Amino acid sequence: MDKILRVNMSTGKTTTEPVPAPYAALGGRGLTSQVLLDEVPPDCEPLGPFNKLILAPGLLSGTSAPSSGRMSAGAKSPLTGGIKESNAGGIASQKIANLGYKAIIIEGKPAAGEQYLLKLTPGGVELLPAGDLAGKGGYETVALLKQRYGEKVGVVFVGPAGEMLMAGAGIGNNDPEGHAGRYAGRGGLGAVMGSKGLKAIVIDAPRTFDVPVKDKERFKTAAKKFADILHAHPVTGQALPAYGTNVLMNIINEAGTLPTRNFRRGRFDQANDVGGEKLAEACTARGGKATHACHPGCVMRCSNIFILPDGRSLGSLEYETAWGFGPNLEIADLDVIGELNYVCNDAGLDTIEAGCTLGVLMEAGVIPFGDGKAAVEALKEVGKGTPLGRIIGAGATFAGKVYGVTRIPSVKGQGIPAYDPRSCRGNGVTYATTPMGADHTAGYAVTANILKVGGDVCPITDEGQIELSRNLQIATAAVDATGLCLFVAFAVLDNPEGLPMIIEMLNAMYGLSLTADDVMALGRHILHTEKEFNTGAGFAKADDRLPEFFYNEELEPHQTRFALRDELDQVINF
Amino acid sequence: MPVEVRVFCGLESCIPGARSGEPMWVDIKAGESGRALLARLNIPEEKAFSFLVNGVRRDLTVGLADGDRVAVFPAVGGG
Ligand code: SF4
Repeated sequence: MDKILRVNMSTGKTTTEPVPAPYAALGGRGLTSQVLLDEVPPDCEPLGPFNKLILAPGLLSGTSAPSSGRMSAGAKSPLTGGIKESNAGGIASQKIANLGYKAIIIEGKPAAGEQYLLKLTPGGVELLPAGDLAGKGGYETVALLKQRYGEKVGVVFVGPAGEMLMAGAGIGNNDPEGHAGRYAGRGGLGAVMGSKGLKAIVIDAPRTFDVPVKDKERFKTAAKKFADILHAHPVTGQALPAYGTNVLMNIINEAGTLPTRNFRRGRFDQANDVGGEKLAEACTARGGKATHACHPGCVMRCSNIFILPDGRSLGSLEYETAWGFGPNLEIADLDVIGELNYVCNDAGLDTIEAGCTLGVLMEAGVIPFGDGKAAVEALKEVGKGTPLGRIIGAGATFAGKVYGVTRIPSVKGQGIPAYDPRSCRGNGVTYATTPMGADHTAGYAVTANILKVGGDVCPITDEGQIELSRNLQIATAAVDATGLCLFVAFAVLDNPEGLPMIIEMLNAMYGLSLTADDVMALGRHILHTEKEFNTGAGFAKADDRLPEFFYNEELEPHQTRFALRDELDQVINF
Repeated sequence: MPVEVRVFCGLESCIPGARSGEPMWVDIKAGESGRALLARLNIPEEKAFSFLVNGVRRDLTVGLADGDRVAVFPAVGGG
């Protein structure tokens, strides 16, 4: 990974540059956020020519490090108006890394209506006209491009939602079987890619695990030990492979913090009907897969393959999606949830934002709670670009304003995910304070709050939440730079050997002598970078708060309200 | 004295006829501990990683009351 590819969509010129020295030790989110601060004016129009879209594999991506094939996508977000990194599994990251690219920077803007395809092969780079792909859904786009360029290619794409510049659009890429379902979903980055006139990136790379490492033997030993650590932990070694992420549905419900009926209650009576155990059964019964790796070399295999009743293969159905279209809408049918997920993948829409938005529309009475059929019909409008479709595609905050809803679950304009902040307060702190807008992964306090992993902090009191969220946000920023799947954290938080082994892999690969302190310093540096960008974009303390109703309305069953305000200013205080 | 018990993610295999996540009413002695309830249900303690009573995580010494909602999980995680 010794070069950076720059694609100027105004001129159609592509250039390959050496990696500047200050970027050498950055990857993934560390690199996308740094390039944004260095090259993008924070006050720019997110869909204009001065914003840039950066794709960056993590530092360990494309090697044999287990579960390291995550890719970061970064840009100024049209949804939040601030900096954004969104992280995806799928097969693109390892391929980009194996072609030697540390990052791809997409900049400028072509004439209105032009659509392009970027093709990367070991032989070089081509920017090709792609008008024939305009308006095509995610599944068809991937299938066509695989047909055209080979079964094994990676395809990074936007659907119609991205082409139509909807602020809830994500950037998709394919899993090893070709499902168009692994998304850098959050923050509307699909609209940024759409604004650049870039429909897809095809990556044809013959290798997956062969990015050069300096000390091969040392690296191999560390990677093997790290895999053993992941296998040995009950969450990463057993629960995730057996039931996938949706194993959370029941425990979050039992803990009374499963947002139900647009965050009215903390429990859904039929949660078990849409939980991980039922999902695993359904995957197997229809000839899908209950466990699956979203990219080669993942040992935790939390992904699955869900087949819809009519035989269409969705790809993976994840917890956040099952919640957003399930309890959040009072829908208790996995097939309806699967259909809503399919519509999103095809239109190219973030499922979390779409779930929050449908919840807001139900709150407004536009469609009734629990009405799966109406939800599917409404969501299908997105791909057609009708007025209702555009409202849904614009996200929960916008939809709420259009319909006069005051209970909008969002922070900095981004919809809140699947843990109510009132009874999982560490996550509430993260939603409020991460530079990303409401994002559960940015400081996943569910670990110590609910799951008894990496500590034990009572979820319904305020004590310890600020510190918990701060430490997790720092560690997460660092993990997001490595290309490791964040789920390694379950094992790493509990096993003192975990972090040293990640550092050992990094040192063996890059010939460095990093320490744990250096890694934490990297995490802090990334957060500073992102905060600085957001300050330039006009964010202030008032943006680091939750919506009013979380402070005013009690959540059953624990009768909790969120109470932290000024304390939140102490989270990123270093 | 009845308590409402749910077991999840494979723990149901310890109890004949039980299904993951479906409520079961179990008759126990007043004030019986979580530990005693697990023994009654043949769930090995080391498998009961999270023990929730009325939505709050408790250790196994907790005394149970009439009508308590109990949930038992092995170690789980996701995101
Ligand atoms: S744990 Fe799941 S999301 Fe993470 S890399 Fe593996 S399959 Fe992908």
